[in-house]
This record gives sequence, structure tokens and C-alpha cells, in this order.
Amino acid sequence: MKNYLVIQLARFGDLIQTKRLLKTLAARPEATVHLCLDASLAPLARLVYPDVILHPITAHGTGQDSNETALRMLLDNRRTFATLAAIDFETVFNLNFSGLNFRLAALFAPERVEGYAWNNGQEITGQWPAMAMRWSGFRRLGINLVDFWGAYCPDMLPAPMVNPKATPKGGGMGVVLAGRESRRSLPAPLLAQITATLAGARNAQSITLLGGQAERAAGQAVTKELPANLQSVTENMAERTDWQRLVEVIDGLDLLITPDTGTMHLAAHLGTPVAAFFLSSAWCFETGPYGLGHTVYQGVTDCLPCLETAPCRENVRCLNGFADPGFRRFLVTGKAGHAPEGLLALRSAFDDLGQTYEPFAGTDEDAPKRGVLRNFLLHHLGGAEPRFDRLEQFFAGQLYREKDWMTAEKPSRKQE
Amino acid sequence: METLRILVVLPLYGGSLPIGRYVASALRQEGHLAEVFEAPDFYPSYTALNDLKVTTDRLDYLQNSFLNVVSQAILAKVETFEPDLVLSMAQAPLNPQALKRLRRDGVATAMWFVEDHDLFTYWKSFAPLYDVFAVIQKGQFFEYLAAIGQENTLYLPLAAQPDFHRPLELSQVERRKFGSEVSFMGAGYPNRRKAFHELVNLDFKLWGTEWEGDHVLEPILQLKGARVTPEECVKIFNATAINLNLHSSIQADELVTFGDFVNPRTFELAACGAFQLVDKRTLMGEAFDEDELATFSSIEELIEKIKHFSLRPEERQAFADRARARVLKDHTYAQRMRTLLEFTAERMPGWSKRRDDSTVFGQDYPAELQADIHALQARLGLPENVAFEDLVWAVRQQRGRLDELDTSILFLDEWRKLYKKQS
Repeated sequence: MKNYLVIQLARFGDLIQTKRLLKTLAARPEATVHLCLDASLAPLARLVYPDVILHPITAHGTGQDSNETALRMLLDNRRTFATLAAIDFETVFNLNFSGLNFRLAALFAPERVEGYAWNNGQEITGQWPAMAMRWSGFRRLGINLVDFWGAYCPDMLPAPMVNPKATPKGGGMGVVLAGRESRRSLPAPLLAQITATLAGARNAQSITLLGGQAERAAGQAVTKELPANLQSVTENMAERTDWQRLVEVIDGLDLLITPDTGTMHLAAHLGTPVAAFFLSSAWCFETGPYGLGHTVYQGVTDCLPCLETAPCRENVRCLNGFADPGFRRFLVTGKAGHAPEGLLALRSAFDDLGQTYEPFAGTDEDAPKRGVLRNFLLHHLGGAEPRFDRLEQFFAGQLYREKDWMTAEKPSRKQE
Repeated sequence: METLRILVVLPLYGGSLPIGRYVASALRQEGHLAEVFEAPDFYPSYTALNDLKVTTDRLDYLQNSFLNVVSQAILAKVETFEPDLVLSMAQAPLNPQALKRLRRDGVATAMWFVEDHDLFTYWKSFAPLYDVFAVIQKGQFFEYLAAIGQENTLYLPLAAQPDFHRPLELSQVERRKFGSEVSFMGAGYPNRRKAFHELVNLDFKLWGTEWEGDHVLEPILQLKGARVTPEECVKIFNATAINLNLHSSIQADELVTFGDFVNPRTFELAACGAFQLVDKRTLMGEAFDEDELATFSSIEELIEKIKHFSLRPEERQAFADRARARVLKDHTYAQRMRTLLEFTAERMPGWSKRRDDSTVFGQDYPAELQADIHALQARLGLPENVAFEDLVWAVRQQRGRLDELDTSILFLDEWRKLYKKQS
């Protein structure tokens, strides 16, 4: 038996986006896959990854006072760490660039750790994540996070095997009210208009509003903005769903309307079609819905994707395309000629590297460069047919560092 | 004194290297958190530059560039470790730019210049760049230092590290290998070469480096003149009936030079409880009473005293016992570090500014957890009232895989920083 450990200490969406890596490991002969994650996400992980052995720890804010949390860490985390230290892991995939992940890696011999390791008190970043940090300089070209994490394994499963192809399930429309970052979400009146348009076009029999406690009021506002006939079939379930219920609801929908959220990734995991609105710091080529059968409406102002933590000096103009009255017409017709300025409408697709998106309205100006970068990365990972574009020289200059080939790589990306 | 964080910067090589290690060990013994910058690890790369066969200006540029990288490495370490004091040993690879940067950033620095200022004159450029400059000589040296702007000067003689320099039970094999009636351990300086020519007819073993080309001494030279480790030195001291200790000199006209400072070997031999015959020094009287060290003032007197003490093991033992007692009382590196830190505190008002430290234990920690943390503190040589941040650093200093408690502590520290930042 071979044990593999994945350490994923980030949030809801990241947990779901780890799927290609987890499935790849599970597909290896005699593999047992372990996942260390924040305890708050363990109930969800049990639903999403029933065959993975979970090792929940306290890693996020708990709402408790810091003394209580400290005690939990020294008792409960310690117990879990002892369990992890006692298992002979073939490889530990430590996925998050965070001080917490580096410290957790201290339990393991650095040569067994991929990603972020700890070597005699020194934090060590592996070559692959270090490269990823460099290509964040040209985010419009970036690759999907699911593929990035999957690519820790040279034998990563083919992209179509990750999620089922999305098909309507018969349960009406779901609407995610907001993501964690408010600027990425559509304002309630606009979201209501778009919801009404899509519900009308698809003759939706029910609308389910989804979110947490913070979105309860937004749900009420959206409901109020809907036409009367839709209000009567709309249920505001914000704050009313635990993980189990959320999975059940999402799994039955015909369509989920959503910004870039964990719920969107859950829908993709379940094979529920997504209509996603990407703007501000959200960029679908990085974190779009994974699998076939999804639609993304991506804002394409030249300032995108921006940094969520930086204030917007552009008066959130990336919202204009969505607010354009013509956008609702376009949602109904899907005709490229009806698409407003500042938007790109895309359908999810695959290439040899993994997830990508093909435009059916608007021009994806970055597509040629993105294609070269993707080929470059594929070649780097060892899976590309020999092919060379002169632009790859530019990427090589930007993404490779001398130490990548002059010195032994630690942690290493082993060729298995 | 409260627990301080001290970064000990070792030299790339040389005589002050073992002293730097004793200093770090003594600081830990005193309850401080000492982190060591292992400069010797960088030295092979530096020396590799010498094999390039390039123009001298290019070689010079490369050497300076390399030393600049080493200085930058020390600065990076300072940034992470946040020491209360950077303590450099003589020849430490901190260049002037780095020292200026530390001063600008308010990081206190000290150098222990364990060199002869007449032979090693680079203090003239470096001394003013340190906040405190400790030396092993007195007299006009202090005036010279004041003249170039270094007022915080401290006479800090060398010492011994009693948990290392100590009486040993040696095996028969070790006694045969390291023992003799008379021995000398040290480098082949001109005055020593000439002096020891007189002793080759004795049961005399010569240890150490730089004795090449002396056919008279060659038969008694041990290990073909290879470098002797500090551990082997202690065995030699312990296995020898009469240890010779002749202070070095680069000239051979005067074999006994009556110089000022007392060399480390004097303290180390004494701490080992080993008998030594040592040449008189002007600063020796401050460190030892006359009945604590058997001394000589000339080679004739040395030969005479070798004969005398060869026949009188009880006298040797009495000197050795008294010298050891004196070293343990007054001349340990722990005491030197206490003196240095007190001096630094006195001369630098406001030093050291304590960080916003927190305690290790919450009030509600179960007894079992408290016991485990106490055991960890003991293992790491930390006092029980150590601040949490210092415990974290001590855990981080460990090598290899860490256990679950170590990892939990590091993890908790990081979590606190993360959520403090966010709140």
C-alpha cells in the first residue's frame, strides 16, 4: 500500500479544486489518499471525497478566543500531527503558500514533500509553485488551478475524468448571492434582472437563492426585485443549508448562476451546469468552473484581472458589460452580435493541459499567447508533442530561473 | 539577565572559530537564545575562486562579491531572527555596508576581537562600525580605539568552556595515542620552532599545523602535522604530564616575548585539570595567582622546570587543581558573556528593547500538556519562564523532522501571526 498525503488548508473552493490531484493519486496502484484540511471543511470533504482519509486540523479563525484556539492546536492538532507523522507517506503534496503549510511540513522529510517544504528550519518553495508565482505576472494567460495542482503528478488523470459533463438535473435554477469578495459579485438589482432573464428564457419552475448568513439580506433584496411570477417560485435558502443540504440542492439544479465561488466549483464537481459571471479579480482561465457544459461571462476591461485587496480606481467599470441592457438580450439569444462591449462569453473546453474556455461571443485577444504558454507548460511537464514557438523563449526567460537547472531542486518534482 | 536573542557570527575560518562556538554554547547555558551564523560552510566556495586562473582585478571583484553575498545572508538572518545583539567573532564576514545597515536598523552589534591588535590591524577600519568592541589587550589600544571613534571598548580576556574543556577518563589506547611526558599543541610559529629544538631528546610530542620543513622537529611531530580537532586537543591536554604553553611570536630572536594577552590554551589547559608550563605574560597576573600557574621566563628556565616537575607529580597535580578551580570561578565563557552583556546594557541605554512577547502557557492548559512543554523546554535548554516567541525560535533551530509537539508550536505561532495581521 502506498500512502499519499495532500495538505489543503485553504477555503471551500480550493478544497474542491484539489480534485484532479486527489483523483490522480487515488488512481495509482495500491494507493491510499489522505487529506489534511481545516476542520470546518471536513463535513464537506466527507461528501465530496468519500474515499479519502481525512485529517482535520484547526487552521482558520475559529471564532473562539485565541487562548482556546491555542489549546485546541496544542491538543487536537498535535494529536493529528502525531497520526500524520506515524504514516509512511510516499509523497506529501503541500499546496498552500502559507506559513502554516511550511510549518506543518516540518513533520516530514523534505525530500518527500512537493510544493512547500521545511528543511532544518528553512522554508523551501518547490520549482513548480515558484514558477506559478512568476506567471502571476501575466495572469490573463494563467492556467486553471485544478490543473496546476493536478500537475504536481506527472501521471495526472486526463482532464475529462475529473468532473462529469454538466447536464441539467430538473430542479430549476440556483443563484449564488455573493462570493467572499464582494467586488466579484453582481449587485442585487442586476443579479435579479439577470436571474429573471435566464429564468424566463429557460422557463425555470423554481429559483433557489444560496448563500451564508451574510447573504440572507441580499437574498431578500434579490427576491424583491424579481417579477411577481418568479417571486412566488423563489426560495431564499441563504443561511439555511448545511453542507449536506447544499450538495443535495446543487446536485438537483438545471443551472447555477454564480460569481466565482466555492459553490460554483461544487456544482462543477457534481456535473450541474454553471452560468458564471467573472469580473474584478476573478479570471476564468485561473479559477473557472471545471469540466464541460459550463458557460462563463467574463469581463474583459484592460485592468482585469485586478487585485481584490487594492482599491478600484476605475469605478468598477468591468461591471458595465453586465449592466448593459443588451446583455440580457444576449443571454437569451446567445448570438455574438448581441453581446455588449467589455464582455467575453465562453464555453468550457479542454486541451492537452486541461481546462480552457472557448469564446462564442467577443474576441479572446490573449488566446494566441495563452496557447503558447500552455504548450510551454505542457512541454515543461513532459506531456507535449515537440513543437516550438519563438514566444516560448520569452516565457522561458520569464518563468525559469538559473537555479532551476543549475542546482538540485528541493523539494523535487519526481518523475515517477 | 532576561533571555536575549543573540546571533553569533562565526568567522569563515581561523582561531576565533572554536571560540565562537564556545561563546554560543555559553550563551545558551546562560539561558539566552543563541543562533549561530555558520560562516565556515561558505568558505569552500570562496576558496574555489582562487583556482580560476583569471586576472587579479576580476578575482578581486569576485571575492568581494562573494563576501557581499555572505554579508547579505547575515542580514537576512537578522531580519528573521530579530536578535537583541549581533555578536561577531574576530574576522566575521560582515562587511562595512552590512554593519552600517544594522546600525541604521537599530540592531545592536558587538565584536569580540580575540586577536593581537599589533598583528591583525584591520580593527582600524572595522572597530568604529560596531556598537561595542571587546578586546583581549589593554594599554594604548583603548586610546587608539577611542581616537577612531570607538568609545565602547571592553577588556574581555579569553576563557574556557568547562563542559568541553574538562578532565577526561581516557582509555589505554587514547593514553598511548595522545599521551607523553611533555607535549605541545599549536601552530609552528618561529619562536616555538627554535625553542623546541632544545627539547627533542625528551619524551616530547608535538601536535598541530605549520611545522613543515623543520627536520629537527619532524620526528616528534604527530599526525604528520595535520590539524587537530578541539576534541583531540582536550585528550592531548588530559593525557600529557607536562603541557607546554609558549605564546606565539612571529620572530625568533626573543623566544619568550612577555607579551600582554593570555592565550586561550592557558584557560583551556587549566579547565581540563591539566598541568602546564606557560610563559609569563603581562596580563597573566590579573587572571591567575602565582601558585595557580607554573611559569617560565626563558627557555633555560623552561628546561629546568620540565626536569623539576617531571619528578614531582604531586606538585603538578596541586598546580593543576588550583588553576582549574580558578578558571571555574573566574574564567569561563559564561562569565565573559555576562560581562559583555552587562557592559552593552550599561553603554547602550534602552538596550535591549523587548519585543511584545507572550507567555507559553494559557491558564487552562492540562497538566499533561504542561509537563510535555516543560520537557521540551528542558530538552532545548530553555528556562521555564521563556517567552513563547523564544521557544518558537529554539524549536525552529532543530534539525531534521520535528515531532508533533514541535510542529504544533510552530503552527500555533504562525496562526497567531496570521490572525493578528488580519485583525
